[in-house]
Amino acid sequence: MTSVPLVSVFSADDSTKVTAKHIPLPAVFQTPIRPDIVSFVHTNIAKNRRQAHAVNPQAGMQHSAESWGTGRAVARIPRVSGSGTHRSGQAAFGNQCRKGRMSLPIKVWRRWHRRVNIKQKRHAAASAVAATGIVPLVLARGHRISQVPQIPLVVEDKIESYEKTTDALNFLKRFGAFEDVQKVVSTKVVRAGISKQRGKKYRVRKGPLVVYFNENAKLLKAFRNVPGVEVVNVTRLNLLQLAPGGQLGRFVIWTQSAFAHLDKLFGTYRYASVLKDGYQLLRPLLTNPDLARIINSNQVQEKVQPAKTTTVLHEVQKKNPLRNTKAMDRLNPYARKQRAAAIAAIKANTKGTKKIKKNKALKKASRAAFNKVSAALNDATNAAVQEEQDIKVKYFSVQKGAAQAE
Amino acid sequence: MSQQVLWEVVKGNNAFLVKRNGLTLSTDPFNNTGVQTYSSTGFITNNAIGVVPTQAKVNQINNVNLVTRKSTKFQQADRKTKNTQSVYASTLSVKHGIHTASRVIRKRFGTRRLGLQKAALRKLVNLNRANAVRRRNEIAATKAQKK
Repeated sequence: MTSVPLVSVFSADDSTKVTAKHIPLPAVFQTPIRPDIVSFVHTNIAKNRRQAHAVNPQAGMQHSAESWGTGRAVARIPRVSGSGTHRSGQAAFGNQCRKGRMSLPIKVWRRWHRRVNIKQKRHAAASAVAATGIVPLVLARGHRISQVPQIPLVVEDKIESYEKTTDALNFLKRFGAFEDVQKVVSTKVVRAGISKQRGKKYRVRKGPLVVYFNENAKLLKAFRNVPGVEVVNVTRLNLLQLAPGGQLGRFVIWTQSAFAHLDKLFGTYRYASVLKDGYQLLRPLLTNPDLARIINSNQVQEKVQPAKTTTVLHEVQKKNPLRNTKAMDRLNPYARKQRAAAIAAIKANTKGTKKIKKNKALKKASRAAFNKVSAALNDATNAAVQEEQDIKVKYFSVQKGAAQAE
Repeated sequence: MSQQVLWEVVKGNNAFLVKRNGLTLSTDPFNNTGVQTYSSTGFITNNAIGVVPTQAKVNQINNVNLVTRKSTKFQQADRKTKNTQSVYASTLSVKHGIHTASRVIRKRFGTRRLGLQKAALRKLVNLNRANAVRRRNEIAATKAQKK
């Protein structure tokens, strides 16, 4: 578990000034993070704000339609009685029919709401509060907290008396929470779908949640027109606001008295809660979930066997000794001598034979003969070409003569 | 908070998660690989370094920032230090050259987490290369203007 047991309270007017240096973190912030419980409780609790709706029970049934039965070459679906209009004889009543009633029409007495066990709801709320104190979770939820001086952010009670929105805005700017508000403003989009015609025109993100304590605080009015900001009393913390969408890690701004009240609300690990009757904070299954630390701890490393060295069998590329002389020599040192002996034997065998000298005279004679033959060939081809030319000339001149004669 | 526990909460859905074309990517500034995995997701640890490009002003030598994930005892931003501090990170600009920056990365990761170290260094080098192109164009443009 993280050890962030102390927290500073900041002055409302100056974010660099600290009014209370180190106050202890309420035990809620140490409860285990249980996304499973939170998501279960959230999906059920989110159904509780639904309003009943239903289809008109008579819709599609206001006909005296009857099936024509068999033998008339039509489907057996009930058909509208009467005549004189297109509608007569058309299919009615079925969910598959045009203008028919839907299948399983929605009734008003559908079970719209869900009840969740109190203990589960409380564990979920505690977990959600704990998650608001963990920076990576707030980052993961998408809040812009790069300018915020501390998480969890606790501010003196002075903000509870803010009445003007300008005060609220300036306060948010001072504490780096305005970046989150700007995100909300810039990502406001027109909703896709028909809901935009039913009163839900915009989709707006969630910004910071301001939690106060004193009942007659005026800050609700100051903050309520700032887009994205929600204000809630500590005694009425809502999971739907602490973990919107079932996603843990809302960016929360606490007032000092609200922060101090959390111990009474949720109790500590020593004492059960005062205000939630009989509620005890959930205990973690593992006190130290940091696996890396456990593995590297002295207690574990003492008992652990030494690491096995991995022997790689074929670390080096295998060379073929039949083709690679060095590889062969490595395996068979005598191979060198064998090779030398083989070369010597070859040399010995070829000692008597003379080298064949090239016969220059023969070469000359053969070349002359070749030239002769090729010359004769050339002459022959030239003569043939010339003959062809003569015939051509003769032919065309005869033609010319003939033309002239005509 | 333990990295394991945070991962279990965050791996399914988080603000940096981008799923496209069958890939699971991350826009986490502390993630130098771009892919969302347990070891590369830096914002759930307390010792990651993110190599982040910034909008470079004219004549600024470098446009890279090192964002160091830090875990402070009280999760407070330290206002007194020069580097821009937040609750979860301190930002260092790379104005003394990438060699100094790479030393920061090497010192942070040491001999462990070589994969993360290499990813950070690789990103630093690539951003620096792109930056060199930018600077070259900038200088050429100013020269042309002067003429």
